[in-house]
Amino acid sequence: MTVEDQVRDIVAKITRVDKSIITRQSTFKEIKADSLDVVQALVAVEETFGIEIPDEEAQKFQNFGDFVSYVESKVAQEEKV
Amino acid sequence: MSLQGKLALVTGSGRGIGKAIALKLASQGINIIVNYFRHRESAEQTAKDIESLGVKAEVIRANVGDPEKIDEMFDMIGNKFGCLDILINNAASGVGRPIADIDVKAWEWTMDINARALLLCAQRAAKLMEGRGGKIVSISSLGSRFVLPNYTIVGVSKAALEALTRYLAIELAPQNICVNTVAASAVETEALKFYFKEGLAKDSSQLTPAGRMVVPEDVANIVAFLCSEEAFMIRGQTIIVDGGTSVGLFALAGK
Repeated sequence: MTVEDQVRDIVAKITRVDKSIITRQSTFKEIKADSLDVVQALVAVEETFGIEIPDEEAQKFQNFGDFVSYVESKVAQEEKV
Repeated sequence: MSLQGKLALVTGSGRGIGKAIALKLASQGINIIVNYFRHRESAEQTAKDIESLGVKAEVIRANVGDPEKIDEMFDMIGNKFGCLDILINNAASGVGRPIADIDVKAWEWTMDINARALLLCAQRAAKLMEGRGGKIVSISSLGSRFVLPNYTIVGVSKAALEALTRYLAIELAPQNICVNTVAASAVETEALKFYFKEGLAKDSSQLTPAGRMVVPEDVANIVAFLCSEEAFMIRGQTIIVDGGTSVGLFALAGK
């Protein structure tokens, strides 16, 4: 399963939306994710991948794709280390 | 009894009130375990500031809303230090919503972090305090007893925290553990800026009889007092630090 698929599963589970509607262009509003959902998704992703996502970075995410890209880059960094 | 060389865990001490408490205790020679959840850099900065006061600092990440993470944190403290003298239950979170919009998830998130964490941390801390006694101090807010806009879940969680403080104070008294809470009005912190943004709070300095808003150090001073032997006979209490705001409410209503 790709990083994107895993993040999508996590977000879908937290927001209780069908994961097929979550595309890279989806905004958090479109996914019906409120501020608590976002925090819980961040935490779940952090734990799944063993990474940390500072709030300052998370606030820059405009859509699901930004979130996934950030996680992908962090995971790639971890693998290098 | 000197506090020199004692060990304190301060949950949520990367920033704000928790950081001020950590620094105040450190200034009295107490070694500090800095717990944080979301802000590693702030926590590491707190640890540096603590070390510059000449005591030791240890940084531990844990979401106190997650029982497994609390266990891991205390396992680590037990393995590394084998004891604990002071637990400051400060970490808090919350979702500001009108009652109609409160769902189970928001309720559980807030209650787990603000109220259940005291129970679980106190259970583990009490074991590490066995044979040496200890102090447990939590941080509450005026919202536990006064109604603030969109503050229902947090207010209720803080009321639970204060009630739990009373029960813990009695059950842990035979072990020489003093348990109390400090309740503050709005305190000038990063968290408050968030509350301002969400419309949950506004600048209350004009409404405070003492003439200014409460700052983190005001809270830290009282927490440090409750950790001292001078406060030995204070048990299960919630001490309000609000510059007179709560007792002046009716006077304000007349203005």
